[in-house]
Amino acid sequence: MSTVLTPFRVRLLGLAVLAVVAWLLPYRLNIYWISVADTALLFALLAIGMGLVMGIAGQVNLAQIAFFGVGAYATAILTTHDGYGFWVAALLAMVAAVLAGLVAGVPALRIQSHYLGIVTLGLAVAFVDWITNAPVTGGDSGISGIPTPPLFGIDLTSQYLYYYLELVVLALGLLFGLFVVRTPLGRRMRAMRDDALAAGAAGAEIGVLRMMAFGLASVYGGAAGVLYAGLIHYVAPETFSIADMFLLLAMVIIGGRQSLAGCVIGAVGLTVAQQELTNLAAYAQLGYGVVVVAVVVFAPAGLVGIPARLRRRRVRSVAALEAFQPSMLGGAEGRAEASAAAVAVPKGRRFPPWLQAGRAPRRLPSRRGGDSRRGSKPAERSEALARRKTQRGLGAEGRGAVPGVLLSVSGLVMRFRGVTALDDVSLEVRAGEILGVVGPNGSGKTTLFNVISGLYRPSGGSVRFAGRSIAGARSYRISQLGIARTFQHLRLFRHLTVLDNVLVSMDRTRSWWSWRYICWPFGVWRYDHALRSRALALLRGFGLAGFASALPAELPYGIQRRLEIARALASSPRLLLLDEPAAGLNGDEQRQLAGIVRAIRDSGVTVMIIEHNMGLVMSLCERVVVLDSGAVIASGEPGEVARDPAVLEAYLGKSALPGLPVPEASP
Amino acid sequence: MIRRSSAAAILPAAAIALLAAACGTPGGSSGGSPGAGGGSTKAASGPIKIAVVDAQSGSSSDLGQFEYRGVKLAVDQANAAGGIDGRKISLGLYDDQGDPTVGTELARKIASEGYIAMFGTAESAVTLAMAPILESEHIPNITSGQSTKLLAVGSPYLFLNGPTGLTYDSTLAKYLVTTKGYKKIAMLTNNDSYGAGEQSAFTTSLKSLGLTPVAAEVVPADQANMTPALTAIRGKDPQVLFIGAEEAQSGLIVKQARALGMNAVIAEGAPAGTPLFLSTAGVSDTNGTIVSSPYLGNSVNSAAQTFSSAYQAAYGSAPELHGAKAYDGAQVMIAALKACHGCTGLALANAIRAVHYSGLLGSFAYNNQGVGIFATAIGILNDGKIHPVST
Amino acid sequence: MQSFFQTLVSGLSFGAVYALVALGFSLVYRTMGLVNFAHGAVLMIGAYVASTFYLSARLPFVAAVPAAMAVTSAVGLVIERVLRPLENRDFDLMLIGTIGAGTVLEAVAILIWSSSGRGVPSPVRTAPLIVGGVRIGTYNLVVIGVVAVAMAALTLFLQHTKRGAAMQAVAMDHEAATAVGIHVGRSNAIAFAIGAGLAALAGSLASPMLYVSPTMGDSLGIQGFAAAILGGFGSIPGAIVGGLGIGVIGSFAAQWFQGYSDLVTFVVFTVLVMIKPTGIFGERTVSRA
Repeated sequence: MSTVLTPFRVRLLGLAVLAVVAWLLPYRLNIYWISVADTALLFALLAIGMGLVMGIAGQVNLAQIAFFGVGAYATAILTTHDGYGFWVAALLAMVAAVLAGLVAGVPALRIQSHYLGIVTLGLAVAFVDWITNAPVTGGDSGISGIPTPPLFGIDLTSQYLYYYLELVVLALGLLFGLFVVRTPLGRRMRAMRDDALAAGAAGAEIGVLRMMAFGLASVYGGAAGVLYAGLIHYVAPETFSIADMFLLLAMVIIGGRQSLAGCVIGAVGLTVAQQELTNLAAYAQLGYGVVVVAVVVFAPAGLVGIPARLRRRRVRSVAALEAFQPSMLGGAEGRAEASAAAVAVPKGRRFPPWLQAGRAPRRLPSRRGGDSRRGSKPAERSEALARRKTQRGLGAEGRGAVPGVLLSVSGLVMRFRGVTALDDVSLEVRAGEILGVVGPNGSGKTTLFNVISGLYRPSGGSVRFAGRSIAGARSYRISQLGIARTFQHLRLFRHLTVLDNVLVSMDRTRSWWSWRYICWPFGVWRYDHALRSRALALLRGFGLAGFASALPAELPYGIQRRLEIARALASSPRLLLLDEPAAGLNGDEQRQLAGIVRAIRDSGVTVMIIEHNMGLVMSLCERVVVLDSGAVIASGEPGEVARDPAVLEAYLGKSALPGLPVPEASP
Repeated sequence: MIRRSSAAAILPAAAIALLAAACGTPGGSSGGSPGAGGGSTKAASGPIKIAVVDAQSGSSSDLGQFEYRGVKLAVDQANAAGGIDGRKISLGLYDDQGDPTVGTELARKIASEGYIAMFGTAESAVTLAMAPILESEHIPNITSGQSTKLLAVGSPYLFLNGPTGLTYDSTLAKYLVTTKGYKKIAMLTNNDSYGAGEQSAFTTSLKSLGLTPVAAEVVPADQANMTPALTAIRGKDPQVLFIGAEEAQSGLIVKQARALGMNAVIAEGAPAGTPLFLSTAGVSDTNGTIVSSPYLGNSVNSAAQTFSSAYQAAYGSAPELHGAKAYDGAQVMIAALKACHGCTGLALANAIRAVHYSGLLGSFAYNNQGVGIFATAIGILNDGKIHPVST
Repeated sequence: MQSFFQTLVSGLSFGAVYALVALGFSLVYRTMGLVNFAHGAVLMIGAYVASTFYLSARLPFVAAVPAAMAVTSAVGLVIERVLRPLENRDFDLMLIGTIGAGTVLEAVAILIWSSSGRGVPSPVRTAPLIVGGVRIGTYNLVVIGVVAVAMAALTLFLQHTKRGAAMQAVAMDHEAATAVGIHVGRSNAIAFAIGAGLAALAGSLASPMLYVSPTMGDSLGIQGFAAAILGGFGSIPGAIVGGLGIGVIGSFAAQWFQGYSDLVTFVVFTVLVMIKPTGIFGERTVSRA
């Protein structure tokens, strides 16, 4: 096997060839085909925006054609009506397009899926309605006479030279899009797409991400609109119709919406096909419809998804699960964020003490395991974002913290439309312990976890974590404060690799950190690189390194369970909530699980675990809380609780009480 | 991080690109179309290629189909009679899908494929988008649009195959106000380019006669429920309701107006009297409608009857205004080609301007703006047929 | 005041048509989990078939409409087979897949009936009802009546017949439904056929109020879908309320904002959906695993 032609180099060579072909293309095309190419590139730019918001972030956006229109019309009006120069008008048009994008993104904060579809479609209809009626837009006859953009004396009235302008913009747009997709922001968006709930619990600020997605889409839409105005010199409502929106959507889906390259391919392919069929009218329409249905039914990942599907079928993974290495976790500081960026926290902002500048950056564990604080190279530390501590007992706490008590729930009530799921629940979780939460089905255990982790807002009572009240706080906020969880029914990000799943959780940056994408992308890249090495180290510790590039669906169930725990741990939590982690595991896997949980606790993380497997609970937990019908009926050492008559009654019923053998705590 | 191997791949590629760029800009000196420059006056050989560009799909596809049929009938007849100096005219039909962007590409396509002239389109937005390109490619275009915005383009290559909207409406206004003495006239127009054009043209015409409309409502072009607007108009109790909308929507307006108990006389331009208007309105509700159109019907004179029987024989359905306009436009083009023996470019445009042709719509004599017909006729609808009125 | 009620009445008349369209959308979504954007095109096919029976074959309107419903339901069975893989998928896949199917239907309609539209005369020629100066067309009353009957019949079917209960069971858990002996494929096919029949009914009834053309389904489809969402996607009474609501909102928007009525209607719609995202009656969905 040749070592010169690694897959990466083959790809790079392919890209280089493509770049040359794209550059030389105009020399081979006549005036008609170059104008088709110019249109195709515009739609490719639009399609990238669609791909980012729909394929990457999972937001339905049927208003993309309106962003296109805003960019084009703003340019047209500002140049012809108000006499601005082209590039000034273009800049203002981009601002207008982004504003339109943010407006379109507001509904996405409340609604999703087909609701968001009809609302964004309605916004597109409203936009067309406005430009058809408003006098300043020339009504249905549009605006003509838009000037050509001036560019250092190059005559851009030539379709050929305009092609190069578009090509450069498209290349930059594609590169930026790919950069976003493969780095923390894009990863978070993909996680949000796959499972918004789990993404929030892993620290992703869902609302802000959705707005960013729409903002990104509108940047591409606006840019395409500006270029359109400068190319065609004429804008009319018919160009921005709903039919064209659906055509754009078809381009993205046929090409492959989760791949930006696929979006480009779909756009170029469909534009060319549209041209080839202009004199076939109804038959062309028939054929187009058939192709669309066929692609959606047989190749839902689009054309670019076909090779990947074939590839996955042929590859038989020979990765194996390795042993869990507790030493990897040793030294809580080791897991901390040595490679995150340091941000000077603005004065006067009320940040928790652990998020203030000046904290010494944490270091990576050396390869030999264990603490190694000396000799860490500056190269290992990128800009360091100050972090909270994870050691037990240490670290600044909020006001009202009781020493030794990490989580305190008091009088918690949770009602769903008349059903009381939690009825005046009070408990304490002491720092460094493993607390078990048990109870019959329907007793409110998962509801309790959901309230603590911020998925539900409680109807009453309080929850205090390290002294600060978190009841009703959003789940991403709670994740950032240091609580991580797993889910009863696995919630892994199914389109993300194992490594990516862990990376999402490991990324502890706040949303506003993303300004670096525009101003300092190198910092993003460096951070991402450092994050990857940490994530791989974590996977190695969990014995999952061999599966790093696999998708969760390809893994056996037990390994998926372990991955979810690894993912939760990646966020360096102080409190880990495990919801039925042993469900579906066989005896051997359960033993391994017990070992993992103990090691996690030993490394300084407090654990709260819901379990039905009594043997596991008895051997693992130092204290146990029993819930029944939403109320705490017992709490204490496992042995005592097991003998408590109220507990026995709850599980077995009154009639079974007399003469019942009492379970012994197993070693 | 740029590894050496990838640099090795990129460098030669960049070198090739730079070399190629240094060899000059792509595309050569011009579009390379045969019609470039001032056009030739000497006859070439082979078929004369003329393009028909119209919406063949989408909402205005019926107009596109009428236009193609009208053009094709004229061309088939000319070819049967020997063509232009023995050369046959070959038509190429292109679907612009009602999309101005597609239209601009088609303009370049027909230029690059050797078409020397074009008929179409029936939507003014597409025609407006194509006009600058056709001008730079020196391809004369006879369009069935009637918007005055087309004239504002100022292209010497653009010709209308019918009167402008202003002509339709000033003739109509004159008849209504001067001849019939109506004082209370209401307007209901839609907001697409046809309706908007009608609104401004008719308001201008009324103003020049010293009258303002008692009501002027606007509805969206795809609106089906016109009752709210009509209710507002009914409140002003008009004698005449002027409609500026396409065939089907006009018919719905009439139907809904009558359902509201409005007995006002309906007045309209070209769309009234077409079969679609009659079938959507219901024939009885349209009795008494005043139509301003240069083509009042298929039986209005012998020329119309000849035309309509030929059309019927060729396509199995009766023609209407759009087909007649397209037929006349094609005849003008054929006459021009005959006069200049198959010339192209500016010479052909000048030849078109020099044509005097008496057709279904009247006498064509083009001015500098590209308008060839300056009058319409007035008719009254009765029982689904338009009866001409002498004005 | 009179113009207010006249506008209201016209809004309700068109709203009744939107309600029928929304009914079809909601039924198919509720029983199959499919957001069917080909619904508008199916409606158009129904309208063309009905108008062909009515105008060319000279069948009386009351016979042409059921005949069209039958033919369109049969076409619906074929379409369901093709669209079956799209059920319960991501919304954007369903959207574009069903739009593709709609495009095919539109092209077929152009090939059969050509792209020029046709007007359909109103089958009811009696004078309108005049109540306090407000004119209520008799045909519009007929349409409203038919919609009420359709809603009642559909509710009866779903709640009180075995087949209807089976369809709802499939919606809730199609594996459990199979386990109790319900043929899921057949149930879905029947659900889609009923939806297609409703579309054909809507199209046939609407054709004298509009005109029949290959693109008539586009705008009606969007309005009907918005109506279904407004009322609560999957809810039968919600479809009625949503349809009437959209019709009335559109009517008043036309009265007060003229050319901008579409813009206003959708802005109002957006605000309402944001306030109550699951619609007036809440969403009754197919439960997804």
